[in-house]
Amino acid sequence: MSRRAIVLWLIESLMGFAVFFGGALLLAYWIGRSDWSALPGWLSDNAWLLPLVVGVVTAPLVIIEPLWRYAVHRWELSGDVVYARSGWLSREWVFVPVSRIQTVDKAQGWFERALRLATVEIRTASHAGSSTIKGLDYEVAAGFAAELARRAQELRDDAT
Amino acid sequence: MTEPGPGQQGPAPSGPGRPWPARPEPTQPGPIQPGPIQPGPIQPGPIQPGPARSEPAQTGPAQSGSARPGAGPPGPGGHPVPPGATPYGDAGTPRRLSPRVLLIDPIRMLPGLLLPLAGVLVAGGFSPASFGWAALGVAGSVVYAVVRWATFTYRVTGDRLELTRALISRSVRTIPLERVRGIDITTPPLHRLLRLAVLKLDTGAGGDEQEGELDALTLEEAENLRAVLLARRAVTPFHRPEGSPAATEVTAPDGAAHGGTPDGVARGAAGQASGQASGAVPGRASEHHDERVVGRVPRSWLRYGPLSGAYLLTPFALLAGAVGLAFQVSGELRVDARTARAAFAWVEAHPALLVAAAVLLILAMPVAGGVMYAVFNWDFTLRTRDGYLVAERGLVTRRTVSLERRRIRGYELVDGLIERRFNVVRLWAVVTGLGDSETRGQLLPVAPRTFATAVASDAVGPLSAPLRPHPPQARRRRLFRAIAPWLAVAAAAGLLGWEVAALAALVLALLGIPLGLDRYRSLGHAYDGTRLSVRSGSLRRAQAVVERRAVVGWTLRQTVFQRTSGVLTVVAGVGAGTGGYPAIDTGQEQGVEFAAEVTPDWIRPFLAPQAQAGAADTQ
Repeated sequence: MSRRAIVLWLIESLMGFAVFFGGALLLAYWIGRSDWSALPGWLSDNAWLLPLVVGVVTAPLVIIEPLWRYAVHRWELSGDVVYARSGWLSREWVFVPVSRIQTVDKAQGWFERALRLATVEIRTASHAGSSTIKGLDYEVAAGFAAELARRAQELRDDAT
Repeated sequence: MTEPGPGQQGPAPSGPGRPWPARPEPTQPGPIQPGPIQPGPIQPGPIQPGPARSEPAQTGPAQSGSARPGAGPPGPGGHPVPPGATPYGDAGTPRRLSPRVLLIDPIRMLPGLLLPLAGVLVAGGFSPASFGWAALGVAGSVVYAVVRWATFTYRVTGDRLELTRALISRSVRTIPLERVRGIDITTPPLHRLLRLAVLKLDTGAGGDEQEGELDALTLEEAENLRAVLLARRAVTPFHRPEGSPAATEVTAPDGAAHGGTPDGVARGAAGQASGQASGAVPGRASEHHDERVVGRVPRSWLRYGPLSGAYLLTPFALLAGAVGLAFQVSGELRVDARTARAAFAWVEAHPALLVAAAVLLILAMPVAGGVMYAVFNWDFTLRTRDGYLVAERGLVTRRTVSLERRRIRGYELVDGLIERRFNVVRLWAVVTGLGDSETRGQLLPVAPRTFATAVASDAVGPLSAPLRPHPPQARRRRLFRAIAPWLAVAAAAGLLGWEVAALAALVLALLGIPLGLDRYRSLGHAYDGTRLSVRSGSLRRAQAVVERRAVVGWTLRQTVFQRTSGVLTVVAGVGAGTGGYPAIDTGQEQGVEFAAEVTPDWIRPFLAPQAQAGAADTQ
């Protein structure tokens, strides 16, 4: 992974944080305003605690997640098998043999373009055998995708 | 017949020198049928009704070997219909659908015409003029049907099937025969009366527009065309899966090979017999060297139908349809709100009626479900024929589905909670690129487990390894997941003071205990050298058996909670069926070992960095 991927994940986690915190604020506001009799009094009185708790719990994660991801995410092409590890709290390991690859996509979102990063998507006939490797340096991704496509062509095995 | 060379394919479809009339006069279908276009040429010659006929008595020894078109000495590949030996020479002449379909088309258009016709009659006050308009409308639709029939042609040319439509704009759809993954022949009731069939080509392209449909052919023509299409298809390189079904085809049970009893008789006896397996003979050979009945479901097994829970909602669907129709009709008849309110008030005044109706609906569920099931799965028969698996079923609409065997990657055995008590299962094929696999891929309706596994082993291939259980942590997780959510709901409801909801959630949490235990019992995975298998689920337990060569990749997943329990989920990516078959909550090493066992080349090189313990004791 490129080190700049940390920035990418940071941006993404910030956006996630904004959504969560905003949602909690809205919910608290709604609970505080509504005089729905089914809700007990202590809940609507202390509604402001909700965004506070959400903020306190998730704010550190905004920093931790990108670093953790950077430590976990790995990819490797060896012996004509692509191996990719991803996740932070949950883990995912994907093994895709090059001979079963159908398409190799290289994609760039807005932030990725700004950071000169790219995502390589490896597709097989099955979603469970497909892998998406995010946060690669653009040059590396281009080279990797080209290499994969070339090898996939050579090794094409039409078992599926 | 004359030029078997694949290079001889006649002119290009849109070329100027078409050998068939391109623009027939729409209103006069008569004179535009010179010689070869009529369905005539297919009738002379030794073409007997094919073996997939609906009458049971005729599937017997009535037509032996030579009765099939061009079924001469089998070729080197065992394909009885060599290319070119059929009426579809390589320079295949364009053909039309059976003209008998013209009798069906107007009837099919009737529902659509009914309301406008009624409208015209009512608006015109039943005057002669309005009758005239109505007659004109009917005549118009008949003419439309005739024109559409006259302008639609199809032909097999070289390695492709061309469907030409020239009604308003000319369109030629070309379907390469090597793309044909399956052929689906249905005979809806009206077609059956007229001895017609609808032939559909499954090309795996996705989307209905991409698939070819021929509605309708005569039964003979449909059988014939299928034989031709499949024979052409089978000429392409043909490798069977390992653990090959080819072997079983040759060594069919000797006793049955001569077919002393016509199949129809055997089936009739089976229908009366109430015991299991009396008429269901896996691996019974029929008279055709290229065709064999793999399994036939006796009618007595139709009583298992309601167990599957299929079609249980039929009464409600019917009710919904009736309500929709009532609304539509009331709109047409201009029923105003006042009458509607009066009707509702009347119903409200008689609550007993409402309750009775509800009870009746619920009582009708299993009955209607069973009837629907029987109608759809009547005389279910599974055959092998020329490298295809052919499943035939249905009482009113007889449906024949051909699945290409070399695209079958495995099978799935599904049983629900109740079905397991009766030890019955349903069987589906796992096929690559099959659209609508839920109905097309079905290999057996509800049938006893022993029979289903025998059929699956015969038709696809056996699984000869027992399922390995998953570690006890998996049981804890299954239990937790079945109970905890309901406990949480109960706690929340209790806090909020909703006693009834809390009680209901508590009951559900209690039910979660047997459910969780059963889910754990269901978990398992196996690998026997050629096929791997995974099983999970409780209310709907499914065991998938998939060939090793169909695996296109592995995904191993571990959530935080799985990590603390030391288990992970291994998903075998398969380019068929649902795409991925998970072994849920395997032990950490056990799961990695499972993947490494199935495809050692892919996993072993990576084992050292991530599962040291697993790598150490395996190699």
